[in-house]
Amino acid sequence: MAAVELIREQLKAVIDPELNVNIVDLGLVYDIVNENGDVKVTMTLTTPGCPLHTTMTNGVRAALHGMEGIQSVDVEVVWSPPWTPAMMSESAKERLGVY
Amino acid sequence: MTSNSQTSFRLPFLFIATGIVSFVLFHALSLSSLANWTMEYPRGPVGWTNTHLLVLGWGTMVAMGAVYQLMNVVLQKDLYSRPIGYVHYFSFTIGFIGLLLGFAFGRIIWIGAFASLALLGIILFAWNIGAALLHAKLWNTVTIGAAFAVAYLVLTGLTGLTMGLDFPLNFLGVWHDRFLGAHLWFGAVGWFGLLIASFSFKLLPMFYLSHGHSVRWEKPLLILWNGAVVIGAFAMLTGAGLPLLWIAFLLLAAAYAAYTCYIKDVMAKKHKSSPGEGIIFSVWAVRGFLVFMLFLLVFAILFPEQFTRTESIVILGWAYLWGWVALTILGYMSKIVPFLWWTHKYGVLVGKVPTPSLSQMINERYVRALLHLTGTAMLVLMLGLAFSLPIVVVIGGCALSIFSVAYIGLVANVFLK
Repeated sequence: MAAVELIREQLKAVIDPELNVNIVDLGLVYDIVNENGDVKVTMTLTTPGCPLHTTMTNGVRAALHGMEGIQSVDVEVVWSPPWTPAMMSESAKERLGVY
Repeated sequence: MTSNSQTSFRLPFLFIATGIVSFVLFHALSLSSLANWTMEYPRGPVGWTNTHLLVLGWGTMVAMGAVYQLMNVVLQKDLYSRPIGYVHYFSFTIGFIGLLLGFAFGRIIWIGAFASLALLGIILFAWNIGAALLHAKLWNTVTIGAAFAVAYLVLTGLTGLTMGLDFPLNFLGVWHDRFLGAHLWFGAVGWFGLLIASFSFKLLPMFYLSHGHSVRWEKPLLILWNGAVVIGAFAMLTGAGLPLLWIAFLLLAAAYAAYTCYIKDVMAKKHKSSPGEGIIFSVWAVRGFLVFMLFLLVFAILFPEQFTRTESIVILGWAYLWGWVALTILGYMSKIVPFLWWTHKYGVLVGKVPTPSLSQMINERYVRALLHLTGTAMLVLMLGLAFSLPIVVVIGGCALSIFSVAYIGLVANVFLK
C-alpha cells in the first residue's frame, strides 16, 4: 500500500501552469487518506472559479493512476478553509518572487 | 483529449483565430495605403471599412471569444448552448464580412442586409450569455458588468443597423448623426469598456495572485462607467451638445480613476512578482488613458470649439480605441491565448508527463518589446494627426502596423507550441 507521504510526493507532478509551482508546495492539498488502496485527496484551488479546476483534479487522478497499491482515487475540492498564500511552502514563496 | 475540453476549445478558438486574421488584414490594408486612410474624412467608405474591420473583425471577435472562454470559468457552469454559439459565429462573421464589402463598394443594400445578419449574431450571443447568467444566478461585479457590456453591444448593433437601413430608406434625417454618436458611445465605451473593466475584476487578481484585496472600487467603477455611457449616448441622441457630453467624459474619467485605485488595491495584496508583461502593459494603458482623459476635460473647457471638430473627435477615437481598448486587448491576448492553447493541448497531460508553464508558451521579452514599440508608434501617429503632419502620420501608422502585426504573430505562434 502506498504511504501517504509517497502519494504527497507523487502529487508534486501536478503543476499549476500559471504559477509554475506544484500543488503540494502551493498548499492546495489539504488531506490525503489511503484506506486499503482507496485514496481520497481533499484539496482546494487558489480561487473559487479557478479556470484550472478540472485540469488540476484530473491531474491528481492521473498522477496517482497506476501507482503501486492504489486501486481508486477520489478527489474532493473544498473551499473551507479558504486557501491563503500563507499555506505555500517557503520554496513556493521564493519561486513566486514576492518574499 | 476529452470531447468536453475539445468543445470548450473550439468556440473561443474560432472567434480568436478569426480576430487575428482580421487584425492582420486591417494592417495589410493600412500599410498598403501607407496609413493615408487615417487622414481621410472618417465618415466615408474607406473609414467605415477600416474601422469596422478593426472593431468588429478583430476587437469584437476576440472579445466574444474571450467571453466564451471565460464565462464558464466565472460562472463555474458550462455555457448555455454551444450550438447557439456556432450559429452566432457564422451569422456574425458572414454579416460583418458582407458589411465590410458593402462599405468598401458602396452597396447600400448589402450594408442593410449584412448588418441584419451581424445583428442576428449579436442577439444570439446576448441570448446565450444572458441565459447562462440567469441560469447560474451568480450576480457579482464581474457578471453584472459583463451583462451590461453585452446589452450595450446589442444597442450598438441596433443603432448601427438603423443607420444601415437609413442609407437606402432615408428615414432618419437629422437623427442619423445622433444615432451615430449613440452607436459610438454604446459600442466603444459601453461594450468594450465595461467588458474589459468587469473581466479585469476576475483576471487581474488571478494574474497577480492577489488575495484579500479590497473590492471597494468595483461598484463605483461600474456605476460611473454606466453613467458615462448612458449620459454620453443621451447627449448624442438629444443633440444636447458639449455641456452634457463633458459630464459624460467627467464620469468616464472618474471611472478610470476608480479603475486605477482598484488596480492599486489588487497590487497591494499581490503574491506574485509579475503578472506577465502583457498585463503590466495593460495596467499602464489604464493609467495613461486616465491622464489623457484629464487633459481632455481641461482642453474641452479651454477650447470648446476645437473639441467638437471632426479632427479632435478622430484623435479622441484613436486614443480610446487604439490607446486603450486595442492595447489592452493585445496585452490580455498574451495571457488568454496561451491559456486557451495550453488547456487544449497540455491540460490532459497534467500529472502524467512534464508540461510547459504558461510563461513558456510565449516569449515575455518579445511581448514587452513589441507592445512598447506598438504603443510608441500609436503615440507618433496621434501626434501626426493632432498637428496635421502627413509624414509623421505615415511613419507612425506604418510603424504601428508593422509592430502590432509582429506582436500578433508572436501571439499566434502560441498555436504552434
